[in-house]
Amino acid sequence: MPDRYTPQVIDHLVRPRNAGEIADPSGRGESGHEACGDVASFTVGISDNVLEEVRYRAYGCAACVAAGSALSELVEGQHIVEAARISKADIQEALGGPLPLGKEHALTLALDALHKAFEDHWNRTAGEMLLNGDRTGGGGGKSVVAAMSGGVDSAVTALLLEEAGYDVATVTFRLHDGEKGSRSCCSPDTVLFARDTAHRMGLPHFTLNLKELFNKRVMRDFVGSYQEGRTPNPCVACNAHVKFHASAFLADELGYHHVATGHYARVEEGPTLGRPADESKDQTYVLWPVPQELLARTVFPLGDYTKTEVRAIAEERGLAVAYTPESQDICFIPDGNYRRFVRKTVAAEPGDVVDREGQVLGRHGGVVDFTVGQRRGIGVSAPTPLYVTEVRPSSGQVVVGRKRDLEVSEVTVRDLNLFLDPGDAACVQVRYNSKPVSCTVEEASDGAWIARLDEPVMGVAPGQSAVFYTADGSRVVGGGVVARGAA
Amino acid sequence: MNEPVYLDNAATTPLDPTVLESMLPHLGGRRGNPSSLHALGGAASDAVEEARVQVAALIGAPAEEVLFTSGGTESDAIAVLGLARSSPPEKRHVVVSCVEHAAVREDAKRLEREGFGVSWVGVDGDGLIDPDEFAAALRPDTALAAVIWANNEVGTVEPVRELAELCLERGIPFHTDAVQAVGRVPIDVSEVPVSTLALSGHKLYGPQGVGALYVRGGLAPEPVVYGGGQENGLRSGTQNVAGIAGLGKAAELAREEMEDRIAHERSLRDRILVGVEGIPDVTLNGPRGRRLANNVHLTVSGVEAEGLVLFLDALGYAVGSGSACSSGGHKASPVLLAMGRPERDAFSVVRITVGKDNTAEEVDGFLESFGAAVAQLRELSPLYAG
Repeated sequence: MPDRYTPQVIDHLVRPRNAGEIADPSGRGESGHEACGDVASFTVGISDNVLEEVRYRAYGCAACVAAGSALSELVEGQHIVEAARISKADIQEALGGPLPLGKEHALTLALDALHKAFEDHWNRTAGEMLLNGDRTGGGGGKSVVAAMSGGVDSAVTALLLEEAGYDVATVTFRLHDGEKGSRSCCSPDTVLFARDTAHRMGLPHFTLNLKELFNKRVMRDFVGSYQEGRTPNPCVACNAHVKFHASAFLADELGYHHVATGHYARVEEGPTLGRPADESKDQTYVLWPVPQELLARTVFPLGDYTKTEVRAIAEERGLAVAYTPESQDICFIPDGNYRRFVRKTVAAEPGDVVDREGQVLGRHGGVVDFTVGQRRGIGVSAPTPLYVTEVRPSSGQVVVGRKRDLEVSEVTVRDLNLFLDPGDAACVQVRYNSKPVSCTVEEASDGAWIARLDEPVMGVAPGQSAVFYTADGSRVVGGGVVARGAA
Repeated sequence: MNEPVYLDNAATTPLDPTVLESMLPHLGGRRGNPSSLHALGGAASDAVEEARVQVAALIGAPAEEVLFTSGGTESDAIAVLGLARSSPPEKRHVVVSCVEHAAVREDAKRLEREGFGVSWVGVDGDGLIDPDEFAAALRPDTALAAVIWANNEVGTVEPVRELAELCLERGIPFHTDAVQAVGRVPIDVSEVPVSTLALSGHKLYGPQGVGALYVRGGLAPEPVVYGGGQENGLRSGTQNVAGIAGLGKAAELAREEMEDRIAHERSLRDRILVGVEGIPDVTLNGPRGRRLANNVHLTVSGVEAEGLVLFLDALGYAVGSGSACSSGGHKASPVLLAMGRPERDAFSVVRITVGKDNTAEEVDGFLESFGAAVAQLRELSPLYAG
């Protein structure tokens, strides 16, 4: 079996193009590791989104050197959107055909180093923006930055936008260190997979490093909520501060108007959020904190499709993502054990388990282990099942009671984000995947809303979202955070 | 394109024109099977037996103790697998060094899977085996010990005589893979009490696909291949007559020219060693003294071996690399790891092995290209700080 390099590879090895590095670059990226035997690095000089200068260095086999050299030639002088579209297949073509078996890794390595240089460029450009997440500007044209995780929903989102005539640039966010492969240079990596998916569709791909923002706005809030006896919703926090703001930042930098995600929701007149065609996948409950200025430039292409249809589209267009499993739970806690995650970060003080009259029933290991509505792990035996009805971090008490003690008919909601007139609020949803209940809304003197429910609901946990809908239930009036519930 | 300057003689050597000539009568025209009774068969048989005498003479063996095989790997297999498998059932232990060629190393792993205990004897920083450590590994139930005569990567020449004597004292069969050593160091099995010795044609300016195994009288390894019972029943299958004739001629030339070849190769090797001294961060692996006269094995810091080898190839110089990168992971050489080298060093090694036909001019040209290639690749490397 012939297993030789093409003459083009040898030519790039002996006469590397754009070798070296820029002294004061717009961005710098490195991929690979000495222990793996391959390292590639890129420095780029970017002005008005054009790659005016590209330099690369490489330590590694001939394929690595040649891939970096060829890639530098392909992207030099290009607009950053066009450069971000260059795929492994493009590099391979420039190298005169497939690399020998086992050497394809070199293409990934060179491309990854270049993309990390772009990522660094955006980081430098963004400065405080990527720390604070405040971004509400807007460009023009039928152009969109589509968030791309590599999963079926985001891939079909990008595809539908492309087919609808948008100029599409895709973006993947680095949010935390728990992502698959994020610590190793030789294993599959979420970002690499998303990039491949985008490139296979011929779309440009960018990566934004939002780890600091995500940590500040989502992970710290997650841990702090448990400490304060609240039940956090990290997806809500991410939508409130991270995902949409970062997409909008990139759109502004590229001069693109819209942002898009693969959420199942619609943007309705107002603008406000509307229920999607596939009600079983409805994500309006977690999207309520998206600022209206950002929602005004947001597109949710999947709002008109069912999940089954989305999978069918992926299959029909031959997207490799068609059969990826549904993502589960909390992305930064892959094993699902969020108690352990919280306990790793905060010290937990033992305290009393008490009944509603204040009588001590037993001891617990820390309030962070409990949320309202919880039945398991209370450690107190009783003739009827006991539920956590309240968590009191200040006194370290966990209050338990019977199931009917969980019933709530009045909910206080704070930190509101409104899309429509408060008078339109006719019902409220207080848990993910539950039905909204009819309510009347009264504004308290401190700006909070008090929702009086027509029928009591179970297990309203402070920290969760309360989302108000119009009378027909089709549109979101606004949402906020449950401060407390009362019987 | 000009013929490249060939400096990879440990991988294979050029076929000597005299050797080629000795093979041609067996490749064209009528030919017989050495086992046939008729005259054509007899002629083929004569050629094989003449070669047996020539090969035996090179290593000081009686002709009847030499058998022909398809090469070094098969010779090793017959010796290592064959001797271990034919040992008494209570002897289920073998001793091998950590610096064996894959041909022996993989045989030992195979025996491990068959239920043998394997003791791997380590080496020092030069790749040398300590005879005391080796002796300590030998046990009453040891069925076989095997140590390479001269290492194929770093060229270290092992104290084979001492090791073989330690085995002789204990009645343990001792095999040596002498594929790199034969023709490059004097070998005399009438003096050195090895039980079996493997050699190969194409490392000796002979043809590829032919080798020989010396088996001391009285030993009866279990065959690996069964059939017509050729080669004393140890290697069934019609002999590769042309290849064997070529190996015989190559052995004869090696015996006649060995002294001159060694002197010539040593002068070229030393010319390279002096030449690379001026390049920073290039270090010689293996000993300066106890090494093959034709072997230079270098670690070139900050440069990945494959890139360097292909770069030199593009400049017209063929040398060997110490490792191959695949799917983003390099496989470090077990020999270098056994010598205590860090894994990353093992990605940066090149092996330059001169041969009898190389010239001082070629070496000088190589040195110039080598310096230029190393400088350019280092310039490109993000890991080399200078």
